[in-house]
Amino acid sequence: MSELTAVGKPIQRVDAEEKITGQAVYGYDLVLPDMLYGKTLFSPKAHARIKRINTEKAKAYPGVVAVVTAEDAPWTHGETVKDKPFLAQGKVRCIGEPVAAVAAEDEDTAEAAVKLIEVEYEDLPVYTDPEEACKPGCVEIHEDFGKYRKADFIVKGAAPNVAEHFKLRTGDVDIGFKQSDVIVEERYFVPIIQHAAMEPHSAHAQFDKESGRLTIWVANDAPFRALHEITEALGMPKEKIRFINPLQGGGFGSKGGLKVEPIAVALAFHTNGRPVRVKFNREETFISTLTRHEAVVYSKTGVKKDGTLMARAMTIYWGAGAYAEKSPTVCIRGSLPAPGPYRIPHVKVDGYAVYTNKPVAGSYRGYGIPQGAWAGEQQMDEIAKRLGMDPIAIRMKNMFVEGDISYWGEQLHAVGLKETLVKATEAIDWGKPTKTAKPGVKIGKGFACIQKPTRSPTTSAAGVLVNAKGEVTVLAGTVEIGQGCNTILSQVAAEELKVPLERVHMHQLDTDVIPFDASTTSSRSTYHMGNAVRRASIHAREQIMEAAGPMLEAKVQDLGYADGKVFLKDQPQQALPIGEVVRRKLGIHGKVRGDGSYTYEIGKDLDLETGHSDHASAFYMYATQAAEVEVDEESGRVRVLRMSAAHDVGKAINPLNCVAQIEGGVVMGIGSALHEELVIDNTGKVRNPSFLDYHLVTSLDTPELIPIVVECPEPEGPYGAKGLGEPGLAPTPAAIGNAVTDAVGVRVYDLPLKPENVYWAIRKKKKDAA
Amino acid sequence: MKMNIQFSLNGKSISRDVPTHRLLLDLLRDEIGVTGTKEGCGTGDCGACTVFLNGKPVNSCLVLSGELDGAEIVTIEGLKIGPELHPIQKTFLQDGGAQCGYCTPGMLMMSKALLDENPNPSEEEIRFALAGNLCRCTGYAKIVQAVQDAAALLRNR
Ligand code: FES
Ligand code: FES
Repeated sequence: MSELTAVGKPIQRVDAEEKITGQAVYGYDLVLPDMLYGKTLFSPKAHARIKRINTEKAKAYPGVVAVVTAEDAPWTHGETVKDKPFLAQGKVRCIGEPVAAVAAEDEDTAEAAVKLIEVEYEDLPVYTDPEEACKPGCVEIHEDFGKYRKADFIVKGAAPNVAEHFKLRTGDVDIGFKQSDVIVEERYFVPIIQHAAMEPHSAHAQFDKESGRLTIWVANDAPFRALHEITEALGMPKEKIRFINPLQGGGFGSKGGLKVEPIAVALAFHTNGRPVRVKFNREETFISTLTRHEAVVYSKTGVKKDGTLMARAMTIYWGAGAYAEKSPTVCIRGSLPAPGPYRIPHVKVDGYAVYTNKPVAGSYRGYGIPQGAWAGEQQMDEIAKRLGMDPIAIRMKNMFVEGDISYWGEQLHAVGLKETLVKATEAIDWGKPTKTAKPGVKIGKGFACIQKPTRSPTTSAAGVLVNAKGEVTVLAGTVEIGQGCNTILSQVAAEELKVPLERVHMHQLDTDVIPFDASTTSSRSTYHMGNAVRRASIHAREQIMEAAGPMLEAKVQDLGYADGKVFLKDQPQQALPIGEVVRRKLGIHGKVRGDGSYTYEIGKDLDLETGHSDHASAFYMYATQAAEVEVDEESGRVRVLRMSAAHDVGKAINPLNCVAQIEGGVVMGIGSALHEELVIDNTGKVRNPSFLDYHLVTSLDTPELIPIVVECPEPEGPYGAKGLGEPGLAPTPAAIGNAVTDAVGVRVYDLPLKPENVYWAIRKKKKDAA
Repeated sequence: MKMNIQFSLNGKSISRDVPTHRLLLDLLRDEIGVTGTKEGCGTGDCGACTVFLNGKPVNSCLVLSGELDGAEIVTIEGLKIGPELHPIQKTFLQDGGAQCGYCTPGMLMMSKALLDENPNPSEEEIRFALAGNLCRCTGYAKIVQAVQDAAALLRNR
């Protein structure tokens, strides 16, 4: 391969300039001409039947243009289970569920009018604990589950409120435990947290009666999924619906699926063609968008005296909240690798996605891996302790290496795990004595390893245009959420067309003109869209070379390509810049278009009885993070002193961007480890829906960060690249948990590691000892 | 109640009839259409909406339009020095201080406020000054770096 010119270089972000000057326009910023202002009425009840809705007063309020309820929008949607109404139909299933909405001439009017809508409710039993909600005798939150349209792989559990039951069966765990010398069994808990992207949620919609076209402006991370869901729900042809993506101020999984969009759409049908904006404020974003799944994880592990893992059994209750959203797939993709990146002959996993009357849980950076790792990786340390083994040694003995067959039946390749473990632990001076702490304060070290699959099979398609000036435009459906995809994809196009990066620009995301892409999720973009853009660029280059042949009076095989020029191999000074080729061929307004598409063909789908697949994921990401922490024994307060994070990225297309993703991920992970928790009481009410009460990590609470990029090339990936966005926070809480135990000798099983949880664990140990 | 207010925005004088309870943030974004200033919470807890009001950084989501008569307001759109980027903008570019960029305008304004007062801040002073500006993407390391580098640029001018 010729030398890389753009890929692998630490290039500054291509979208930074508009962001630092305030020119970047985000979804939340958009003001459309003649726009109406929408406001939503949310349910104050966690589970209730709607007996009556009266909108008369709101409709009569001066300045109100439209008031809508389920009567005006009798549609439902959902990714794999079509269970979610545009606006509550007949009942509400969580506090914060949209019930009605108003569009008015200004924000104040909309706000005043929405308060005039009267709703009468009849209470139903409220379930706020996923483990409780699936006990026999519980009322079904979705009594019509059987009638919903849904994907064929959904396995409804036998117990009440179970939307999905995932099973993994390998070997026979009973035999495995019998053959084990030591067995450890425990319950772990991970609470609900929220993405808290700095840009809250909003959507704009406009329906033009004459053309019958519906346009939606929204910072959605999967516009083609949104397009499909809206099309499917409304029964409108795809060509009639258009999604335009303004910039997105963070997402972390929260901005996929439909949340504000259905409300804006419902209103847009009643505004005589005027566009309507619906914004959720921060509190509404907290209660009515998405959360990360709370999870109760029961984990039992059996091991031989020499540290060989024999069996692992896990039962995981994933709290889905009021609607299924991505819960079935989080349950599947989070439960499957939950036993960890290890060779284990006997494995049994049961994952249950359980409806509750809490805000809807959806995809969240890490997609179920942090929850499994919180249990599995702490249990690995427990086992090591019981065996008197070093935590590194026990993992080294069992961890996946190149060519291993995983417990779900897939042969693994490009496994960079060992290197991440070695580098992450070295970076915090593992095995060397820690600094001496102040009296009453203990210092400890810990680490955790993860393996993460990506959503498979999926498709990304791309177009690449080259104009007569030699400028390149990339048409890609990957959403710039902040992760840096515009930079990465520009680098790929610049690489294949050998043009400077300044000549490449990304087209705005508009489903009318941009080729299909499955989603900007699951750390799939660099790999899938990277491949698609690479292919599209090569396709464009080939056409240019083809066209240049006659111009240079040569056969294509006698032409070379470099530096944005086509040249004669034996007379390199005889060269034509690509823009010149396009101009001569198609005129000054002409453009050559290359197209490319990439689909990762998986093998067999996951078997519904065993969870096995010979190819469950296009690639796997591996990481180890290691923490050094300080624990104040008096208060239970944990402070992370330094944290290393070694991530196998396959190949770093942009090392700067890799570091940025790792740092951001780790700090988000530290928040989830130490203090983040969406507190919901037993009436289903969120008690802390503000940044005052929901504590994000601030500039004051970040430790020394040591990001480490490991490159174990993925043969199918573009230039060997895999993905990186999600794993950044996945091992973090478990690593910190292990460090806390190392420091104070007690284990805390429930996240977050807030002072009271740690304090009580220390107290209990002291009491037991006394 | 509406009232006529006159104020200067990034050096341009503006006269408007606005409801006195309209927040400065909404006035800028929805009515004047200058959207570089961001809304992250609307309750004074995130710093995304930071602007300069009469030379001092404020959360524009906590300022009512009724207070603005005669005021001087500078937003991110007014941070450049003539056609040139402000040093803090340059270092945010070079160090990767912005990812999604949504917190960035507020971060830049707050960083400028710090540097105006303290041309040689320690890392701790930077972290303290930015503690009210939330960022969910970067983990703050590159932001702190950018402020340090901007301070050096400013000192060497
Ligand atoms: S929007 Fe003003 S502080 Fe958050
Ligand atoms: S860069 Fe996204 S919130 Fe700071």
